[in-house]
Amino acid sequence: MQKTFPRSFEALGDIYAFSESVMDAAGIDDGVRFPIHLATEELFTNMVKHCPDNDNDVLLEIDVADGGVAVTLTDFDVDEFDVTAERDVDTTMPLDGRVPGGLGLHLVQRMVDSLEYEYRDRQSTVRFTKESG
Amino acid sequence: MFSIEFGEDGNIRLSGRLDAAQCAQAEEFLAAVDGPSTLDFAQLEYISSAGLGILLKTQKRLVENGAGLKIINVNNHIHDVFRYSGFHSIFEIEAA
Repeated sequence: MQKTFPRSFEALGDIYAFSESVMDAAGIDDGVRFPIHLATEELFTNMVKHCPDNDNDVLLEIDVADGGVAVTLTDFDVDEFDVTAERDVDTTMPLDGRVPGGLGLHLVQRMVDSLEYEYRDRQSTVRFTKESG
Repeated sequence: MFSIEFGEDGNIRLSGRLDAAQCAQAEEFLAAVDGPSTLDFAQLEYISSAGLGILLKTQKRLVENGAGLKIINVNNHIHDVFRYSGFHSIFEIEAA
């Protein structure tokens, strides 16, 4: 199943509803749904933040099989931004050294089972999976 | 759907999904909080990094004033998010 969404944080409610409807119809376990929703939000908002003036919608595709889920986000006419690059995040830093932000992609990299990035013809494609169990 | 309000017990009750689109509401509410406070996550289903940023900002402000946040009734998924973020070491957290 695939659908396009406007490049806005306000689209997150519709993205959640679309993702939930696909996973609900397939009987996907809650333990898979949560990281799918989180990774989808983090990657989508990352696209919004890094190209706010781009008028193109973002394409979201969700495939389910054997209790697992594969999600692909495609962003058109954008600069390269490799979301699989390791983030320099120190999660042991005490409170006074912490600043808000920078955790989104760190969380994605730890909560999904696979994460792939492809950049071609100014098109970014991010694909991630979460298996059942 | 997301909401944040004071409960009858004085705790701050969050419910629904705290995603990036809902952070302004949470930030406005928590900016008015002063002194030691307890956040009750019993009805909070989801939080993303945007929500974590609001919690961190609030915690830093309160701790500087000698107070801080306690977070109770945290579900397993949100607890994982806290653990991967290292938030379990900068907040007092009680699981559901």
